[in-house]
Amino acid sequence: MSIEIRTVSKLFGKFPAVRQVSLAIETGELVALLGPSGSGKTTLLRIIAGLEFADEGEVFFAGEDVTWSSAYHRKAGFVFQHYALFNHLTIYENIAFGLRVRPRALRPPEHEVSERVHTLLEAVQLGGHEKRLPSQLSGGQRQRIAFARALAIEPRVLLLDEPFGALDAKVRKELRRWLREFHESTRLTTLFVTHDQDEAFEVADRVVIIDRGTIQQVGTPDEVRSAPANPFVADFLDCELATH
Amino acid sequence: MAGVISTLPVRAPASAGRRATAESPLIKWLLIGVTLAFFGLFLVLPLIVVFQEAFAGGIEAYFAAFDDPATRHAIWLTLLTAAIAVPVNTIFGLAAAWAITRFDFRGKSLLTSLIDLPLWVSPVIGGLIYVLLYGRNGWLGPWLIENDIRIIFALPGIVLATVFVTFPFVARGLIPLMQAQGRAEEEAAATLGANGWQIFLRITLPKIKWGLLYGVILCNARAMGEFGAVSVVSGHIRGQTNTMPLHIEILYNEYQFVAAFAIASLLSLLALLTLVLKSIAEWRAEQQIREGARILETTTTTVP
Repeated sequence: MSIEIRTVSKLFGKFPAVRQVSLAIETGELVALLGPSGSGKTTLLRIIAGLEFADEGEVFFAGEDVTWSSAYHRKAGFVFQHYALFNHLTIYENIAFGLRVRPRALRPPEHEVSERVHTLLEAVQLGGHEKRLPSQLSGGQRQRIAFARALAIEPRVLLLDEPFGALDAKVRKELRRWLREFHESTRLTTLFVTHDQDEAFEVADRVVIIDRGTIQQVGTPDEVRSAPANPFVADFLDCELATH
Repeated sequence: MAGVISTLPVRAPASAGRRATAESPLIKWLLIGVTLAFFGLFLVLPLIVVFQEAFAGGIEAYFAAFDDPATRHAIWLTLLTAAIAVPVNTIFGLAAAWAITRFDFRGKSLLTSLIDLPLWVSPVIGGLIYVLLYGRNGWLGPWLIENDIRIIFALPGIVLATVFVTFPFVARGLIPLMQAQGRAEEEAAATLGANGWQIFLRITLPKIKWGLLYGVILCNARAMGEFGAVSVVSGHIRGQTNTMPLHIEILYNEYQFVAAFAIASLLSLLALLTLVLKSIAEWRAEQQIREGARILETTTTTVP
């Protein structure tokens, strides 16, 4: 499913977190929002998910205007930096949550829930962990459970907020590769926020560079690296500004 | 696991600090002695006196005290008042804690401090406010008389005064708990398609249940024991508007010491029960906070 945002702005008090941002993401793309901390990338992602509402501008999912619909209507799979797993529920119940809160008519029977949970646990290579509590898992395992939980509702898009930011370098590399492979096999439209340029360039089809709430450049990793659009991008990526 | 490692450096300075501030045994025992003496003189001794006086006329006299219709009515009125005031303040406390910890709005800090108002104001003033509002010569008095609605010197007044005095307890217990836990899990539930009510029942409530119970217990204890505010609005009509604390005073003034202390012993038992329940709830609530903090800690300290 495609995502489009048009001239979106968001103020926090007097601080403009996002300024007049427009961006289109095609179905099946994996796009990275890359920028320094405080650049507005997470705010933008939260506006797309419906966790924040824009002061100005519109958000479209597959051409449909969702600017004012809540997170609960948008069905975007969201993965948080600090996992946000339900600590009082088992891994099984964490993953099943999105199915259990559906309206009665759409709620799958228990054997289907069980089947879905087990399939997802296998997909994130954590089969056999269903009875544990989140506190009994390592950071990397928790983040994979968070992925499985987000995927359980069969989201139309996947939104990842610094998904590997809280993990150590080795686990981060593994999960990065896993995400790329997962995306190759499902082609689920994915937008992920990161401040780590290696991560963005390795995983994403296209990279969107953001600073102070505005988009500085959009392009494939090669395009951005070989021809930075302005001094900020060149400086941020630590490469030479192309001389024309 | 990362969690085990990350808690170690926190513990080490704590034990080093204890050694650095350790006092001589003399001061240590002096402080403990002073504390115990105060505790005995002001808490334990009065409690013993209450029970001793209650049983001064023997066990039969003790139970005879509860045979009086006015006494029974006072007990019933106290229970009824608490049964109304506690649920009202539980709902109010939940709503206030939710609003303060989950939304940002203008005047939030003012609201947060206003919740504490009944704790700074003398309960007598609290009662007086309602007399000035709803009493015969109060702002709404003439209208109430015209419509034959009795608030002051009747149950509604007693309930209003009790609600006023007890409303901070639930909210104050929940606000720090909900602040420590943050909104991330609720946001995650929303993106998974849970509506507001489902988020509250399945995520928020299980996380705050012990803190909530703690607040409810304190609120109940105060609701049953309140004297000042209720005294102003009740009118002391025997067998009609006397709650247990007011009835105790009346009996005492009438030199019915055994009866007065018998009812007082009932309130004391209630206080002891509250203390036990409170300790359990407090302990569990602290565990919930620590659990939340620990998870936050393990997730933030693993950053390379």
